[in-house]
Amino acid sequence: MTAAATATTGAFKRPARFARLQRLSGRALSIATTLIGLLLLTFTMGRLLPADPVLAVTGSEVDKATYDRVYQQLGLDRPVLEQFISYVRNVLTGDMGSSLTTGRPVSADLLTVFPATIELALVAILVGTLMGVPLGVVAAVNRGKFVDHVARVVGLAGHSVPIFWLGLIALLIFYAKLRWVAASGRLDVLNEGMIEPITGLMLVDTALRGEWDMFHDALAHIILPGAILGYYSVAYISRMTRSFMLEQLGQEYVIAARAKGVSRRRMIWAHAFKNIRVQLLTVLALTFGGLLDGAVLIETVFGWPGLGQYLTRGLRLNDMNVVMGAVLLIGLVFLTINIISDRLYRILDPRTR
Amino acid sequence: MLAGLLTGLAIAASLYAAAYAASPPNALVIGTQLSAVPSLDPAAINARTPSEVVSNLYDNLVELPPDRMSDIRPMLAEKWVVSDDKRTITMTIRKSVTFSSGNPLTAEDAAWSIQRVIKMAAVGSTDVALWGFTPQNVDSLVQATDPQTLVIKLPEPVSTELVLYSLAGASLGIIDKATALKNERNGDLAQNWLKSNSAGSGPYKLTQWRPNDILLADARADYWRGAPAMKRVVMRHVPESGNLRLQIEAGDIDVGQYMANGDLEALQAKGATIDPGPGLGFYYVAMNTQDPDLAKPLVRQAFQHIIDWKPLAQTTMNFNGFPWQSIIPKGMSGAPTAEPTGYQYDPELAKKLLAEAGYPNGLKKTLFPSSDALLKMAVALQASARKAGVEFEIVPGEHTPDFRARKYQVLVGNSGTRLPDPFGTLVQYAYNPDNRDEAKLGGYYLWRTALDAPELTKQVDLSKAETDPAKRKAIFEQIDKAFTAMNPPLIVILQRTDPYAIRKGVTGYVGHPTWSTRWYDVKKS
Repeated sequence: MTAAATATTGAFKRPARFARLQRLSGRALSIATTLIGLLLLTFTMGRLLPADPVLAVTGSEVDKATYDRVYQQLGLDRPVLEQFISYVRNVLTGDMGSSLTTGRPVSADLLTVFPATIELALVAILVGTLMGVPLGVVAAVNRGKFVDHVARVVGLAGHSVPIFWLGLIALLIFYAKLRWVAASGRLDVLNEGMIEPITGLMLVDTALRGEWDMFHDALAHIILPGAILGYYSVAYISRMTRSFMLEQLGQEYVIAARAKGVSRRRMIWAHAFKNIRVQLLTVLALTFGGLLDGAVLIETVFGWPGLGQYLTRGLRLNDMNVVMGAVLLIGLVFLTINIISDRLYRILDPRTR
Repeated sequence: MLAGLLTGLAIAASLYAAAYAASPPNALVIGTQLSAVPSLDPAAINARTPSEVVSNLYDNLVELPPDRMSDIRPMLAEKWVVSDDKRTITMTIRKSVTFSSGNPLTAEDAAWSIQRVIKMAAVGSTDVALWGFTPQNVDSLVQATDPQTLVIKLPEPVSTELVLYSLAGASLGIIDKATALKNERNGDLAQNWLKSNSAGSGPYKLTQWRPNDILLADARADYWRGAPAMKRVVMRHVPESGNLRLQIEAGDIDVGQYMANGDLEALQAKGATIDPGPGLGFYYVAMNTQDPDLAKPLVRQAFQHIIDWKPLAQTTMNFNGFPWQSIIPKGMSGAPTAEPTGYQYDPELAKKLLAEAGYPNGLKKTLFPSSDALLKMAVALQASARKAGVEFEIVPGEHTPDFRARKYQVLVGNSGTRLPDPFGTLVQYAYNPDNRDEAKLGGYYLWRTALDAPELTKQVDLSKAETDPAKRKAIFEQIDKAFTAMNPPLIVILQRTDPYAIRKGVTGYVGHPTWSTRWYDVKKS
């Protein structure tokens, strides 16, 4: 590199760094604003819910003195704005308050329920990707043919059959009749409490500790809810894959490559599919985010102790700390997924840099 | 449709063919709902599931057999003497009982536990506080005079049985004072620590507790009555009744709670025992008498005939309750001995009564179910009332807070009480010491319906103080009669039951009407 060139780049370095800093601070500000907005929204929602947080603590058969005392303990006698400000202040110091229905700090609850949901969503996204992407590609390549229709039916069936019903039917077949899988929870009762958590992901923890019997047990517990939840996302993933592929297959470079004698298979996977990876990544990231809080029905059917059940229960009983803690976490996860997929987008697609 | 799913699972299964064993022969597995258990501190509980857990981690001074609750039996107190004036109970505490910590149990632990319930003034004190104990007077009234002697003085005249009944309740489990105080923070009487730890002398010790997920309790080999047959009890959160049914059928779960009727019927057909789980509460229809229409006794009388309870009791609710129309639970002192006949479904009679009251074209009201569980009953009521010219608009949701705040017109709900005495239900249904809005006595149903009934209230107070069983019975009968005669704003239609599905081969699991269900006698063949 010449001196002149160095001087030139040196001259541009600072502004570039400055610009990046500006971009980063802008992003941080937007994240903070989003989270505050989220908190404000859930807090307001909590105020509008026709439920009584005091009764969540005391049960419905309670005398006036106890009721009044709990009302005060929960700080409900203070002005709403004051309640909100003190909540935000606590959250910033990592204190999300205690859950009224579990009696534990919300942060401790979230540390227990969130890994369970992450693990379930990971298995689901794996199933959804392994089924949905090939299905979408095959459907695009065979557009309008019988295979295309079959692919659409397979995808749609997963999305339109009530998940409750599908869950119970699957339990009936794979648990009750075939005895291949377990029915509820994350581990067999004999294995409960035998594994010291490392990551909170049961499959990972059992593997890391070399407890292969327990790994099998954990797999037997997660495979069915994970597969059904994954199947549920197949329709969306395959539909998006199909339309991205169709777009590529209509491009001139495909026609040119085919004219040059590139094999069909190579054409599809090495050229067209390669070009839709980036878009697909965004779809998968968003789907994954959706699986985190959308798994409530599956969690209920399979007694899976995850975030969905925890949040829904909190909403129903007006356990405000739970609702706000869980929503905040989901918001954070969505933001994180967005940031990561954004970065990957830049890495994988040079045009966006 | 399931092709993909099947393929994936087949692969998984070929890698791993699980041979799931049924639940182990020396462990009891209970499928239940663990989503609303804020605490396992005896003093802070009043609901069904935590009461069951706590009753096995802690012992009480006395206990009541589930099938004969008037028979008060010794437990930690091996005997007791009541003074002639009925104001002092002196208990002799059993020797050689130890807590799970190894500490010996003394009368001081018992006194401290009772004082603590009153001082905490949490929901667990609801029953025992009725006898006049307050945080200010309890230290002087409940005392250990030596390691084996506990003296309980009553601040006001109260039937001794009532006091003993409340001592048998799950909230009065005796706590290891030394261990609790070791874990006390900022003078909280170990409230925080006892939420998720146990310090009792019961046959089981809490091993693991994860809300919404699982609870493990391990048997104590050194329990004073001898080690229980079940070495471990597992409570698993299985919120979906269909799933629970499959697991009971497969033998992976021994006892099912909170199950849907259809699943209970299916299990029964396959040989499982359904313990009806008689309870001390009722299913009722409540009317707010602040509504000018519902303030009229004739309208309330008409409403007694718009509920078609027979098919309800035979189908939708057949496992949840049995027909009952008194505010005294079946079999108790002063309860009716004949089948209920007063509120017969008669749409024509209801129409006639409504016309007399000035509503020849019927009535329109909103109907609240107190919770999701009551929705099916609300729907049934809506259908049967329509034939009588009463149009109900159902608003689903959790409406207990509205009920407590008198913000409703008509509501269907259910109640429960842990006090196995008519006083327990009468104080709920027929007691209203101050009918003003600002009194906010949401704990009393009669206040919630805004009906002032000073005479009834006086009678209920009398029944508390009366110690002669025959006189008490007479008072109860009188209250029940007077309540019915005033066309009450609370129409009782069923007595509540909380069914338990018990797998074939499991014996000794008996649901307790006060929810103090104990696992000590459970055996598996």
